[in-house]
Amino acid sequence: MGVEFVGKRGALFWLALKTGFFTILTLGIYRFWMKTRLRRWYWSAIRPGGHPMEYVGDPFEKLLGFFIAVVILTFYIGIVNLLLMFVSFSVFNSSWVGYLASIAGVIPIWFYARYRARRYVLGRTRWRGVRFALEPGAWGYAGRAMLYWFLTIISLGVLWPRMTFLLEKYRTDRTYFGSAKLLQGGRWQMLYRAAIPFVLALVATSGVAAWLLLIDPVWPDTLSDVDRAIRSVYLLLFQDGEMLSMNWPERLFLIPLCMSALVYGAIHYRWATKRIMANHKSADGVRFASKIKPPRVTMIYVLGISLSYSVLVFGLALLILLVIGALGFDAVLGDDIAVMADMPQWLSFVLLGALYLGVFLLWGVLHNTFVTFPLMRHMALTTTLPTASGLARISQRTRDEFAEAEGFAEALDLGAAI
Amino acid sequence: MSSNRSFDVTGASYFDGDVPLPRNVRTLALTDDGATLEIETDQGTVSWPAGSVRRVSDMAKQGAAILRSTTDPLARLCTPNPFVAAALPRANRAAPPKGRMRLAGWALAAVGAVAVQIGILIPLLADNLAEYVPPAGEQALGDATFEQIREVLSETGTNPIPLCENEKGRAALDQAVAKLTDDRGFRQDIKVYVLDHSMINAFALPGGYVVLFRGLIDAATGPDEVVAVLGHEIGHVISRDPTRHALRSAGSIGVLGLLFGDFAGGAAVLFLTERLISAQYSQEAESGADAFALELLAEAGINPGALGDLFETMRRKHGERDGVAAHFLSHPALGERIDAARAAEKDGANYTQSLDDAAWEALRNICE
Ligand SMILES: [Zn+2]
Repeated sequence: MGVEFVGKRGALFWLALKTGFFTILTLGIYRFWMKTRLRRWYWSAIRPGGHPMEYVGDPFEKLLGFFIAVVILTFYIGIVNLLLMFVSFSVFNSSWVGYLASIAGVIPIWFYARYRARRYVLGRTRWRGVRFALEPGAWGYAGRAMLYWFLTIISLGVLWPRMTFLLEKYRTDRTYFGSAKLLQGGRWQMLYRAAIPFVLALVATSGVAAWLLLIDPVWPDTLSDVDRAIRSVYLLLFQDGEMLSMNWPERLFLIPLCMSALVYGAIHYRWATKRIMANHKSADGVRFASKIKPPRVTMIYVLGISLSYSVLVFGLALLILLVIGALGFDAVLGDDIAVMADMPQWLSFVLLGALYLGVFLLWGVLHNTFVTFPLMRHMALTTTLPTASGLARISQRTRDEFAEAEGFAEALDLGAAI
Repeated sequence: MSSNRSFDVTGASYFDGDVPLPRNVRTLALTDDGATLEIETDQGTVSWPAGSVRRVSDMAKQGAAILRSTTDPLARLCTPNPFVAAALPRANRAAPPKGRMRLAGWALAAVGAVAVQIGILIPLLADNLAEYVPPAGEQALGDATFEQIREVLSETGTNPIPLCENEKGRAALDQAVAKLTDDRGFRQDIKVYVLDHSMINAFALPGGYVVLFRGLIDAATGPDEVVAVLGHEIGHVISRDPTRHALRSAGSIGVLGLLFGDFAGGAAVLFLTERLISAQYSQEAESGADAFALELLAEAGINPGALGDLFETMRRKHGERDGVAAHFLSHPALGERIDAARAAEKDGANYTQSLDDAAWEALRNICE
């Protein structure tokens, strides 16, 4: 059974633009409707076996969930932040301890919220009228995520594939389609081959760094101490007049090359692991096969993000020109903030707010059109179900009543792409 | 069962909401009274009241429709035939709402929680904790915020806004501060700075910082007015108002960031700084600082009415416009505060000017 992908990029662009515009008009309240509608659109575009997926999330439910999360989180974040700041200043005489602790305190909630959000989305996804579901287990997920991250860090990344695998297994093994339970097979060691490009890029980068700085230095006279080396890089970057004597400077071109290789390695790892793990997922009588191509995904990211970025910059430039046209040149390039102070405060707030929101809106719309859409399409078209005979044995499951929906994720701002 | 309107069923399938296998639709028809949609499948016929049928919206595939009935939330009828939905009276209506009271309840609770948090809990906690921050902690808090404020106010965006440290002016300022603070054994050393900025304002920070803007010195008509402001700000320092305020902000920022998500992230720092500069302390804190200043001035033999003079000057010059001396002008009771200052001026008392003319001139040029 194959997976089709229908839907036109233009239609999505208008849906995103329209709903994004309403979001601005309602000062962000409509974002729950925006997300619901976009998701509904994407889900309906993905058609395994020719029948669309369906997203039945309710914006009101999401709004309610947001309120619930706000009620719970305000107390946590407000009071805890205050206490942390107090301790930080009283005991450590500095704000850094407080900031770090307050960020660290949010990390478990962050994992918790991600799991809950996934549970909500799966619980509101149907295909052929049958519900998906994710079993409760958000704290277990948060605890494991923290532990695996810790192990990953102290092993200097060697255990990263183990973390990727075990977290995905935790989620997959709790996923249901109707009465069928999904199972993540395979072992975590199989993910090492997904890391090969990244490791190669890392080795190459280290080699290039050693070559440029130690073996045959680009700046031969700066080897003696680090301070001078840093200063010479600074001079090179910011003071074009005083070029240092350089040994074979063309080699500096290798630096952006290495950076790109590292970025590619990271993207490759992420998507190749998705593919490998998808190929080892199964349910009773149902198997999956994925042919996600990491180079293709990388192209989508590179093209999509640069395209979105240029359209955004172009749009902003246009907006600034319009403002200059409307208010005159001086208003924009006044020599201090006095111009802003002369305006009624609410007006400058509204203007700034509108600009801020406008940029967010435009970025969101472009990102949806040029990144999320092609990614979704690629994922759908590369997925198949070679075995689907087990579908006949599946029956409906009860609804996951879920009061706070994605509220925590929403409140903590991890809404992701859609 | 006679049907007067039947639809083309090519490509249509029905899902019973239990098994994920499509049922082939043999016929699809609207009864002659238009009240019922009859779906005849391989495994029997399903009847949906026509008025209960809705079309699922925001579909990616143009033309094709997924229909559902409000009588059965799970079953779906997929048809590429657009005429089916067109023939149904309420296909494009939203589904009936449910649980809206619960939503309203939680919305109220959320608003309430934020209000209780920002309005009551955080201030209460901050006020109590402020007493226990040790001097070194206050010092660190003050150092950090002072640097931050100087950077935010900077016009070039690269270097922090300069301090005014002209030698003669500094001496005059120290002389004025000494008049107020000498031998009083405050719990904290008072550090007074002048920022080279045209805003007519002054503020206090934790750790004994009192900061004047050049604009305030320019606007004052005599040294006593500046000294009176110093007294007022010292009053805030002594009663730990800035420390309370900083702790409150630390708590409130987190809550506001939560509410506004993305947009507040970058603005939070700016907002915090703005709040610190135009610190809106409570009315008691302000009148407390006023009373403290009046007493300090009287003890130092300086006319306490000068505080009222400065308020008056600022009100005359700048009206109630915001951005200017928000700290002083925002309170509705400004008139009362002027009166209180005037009342502290005793008839027949022998007041001396806080700085002689040469020193005052030097202070006015502290930013040169
Ligand atoms: Zn005050």
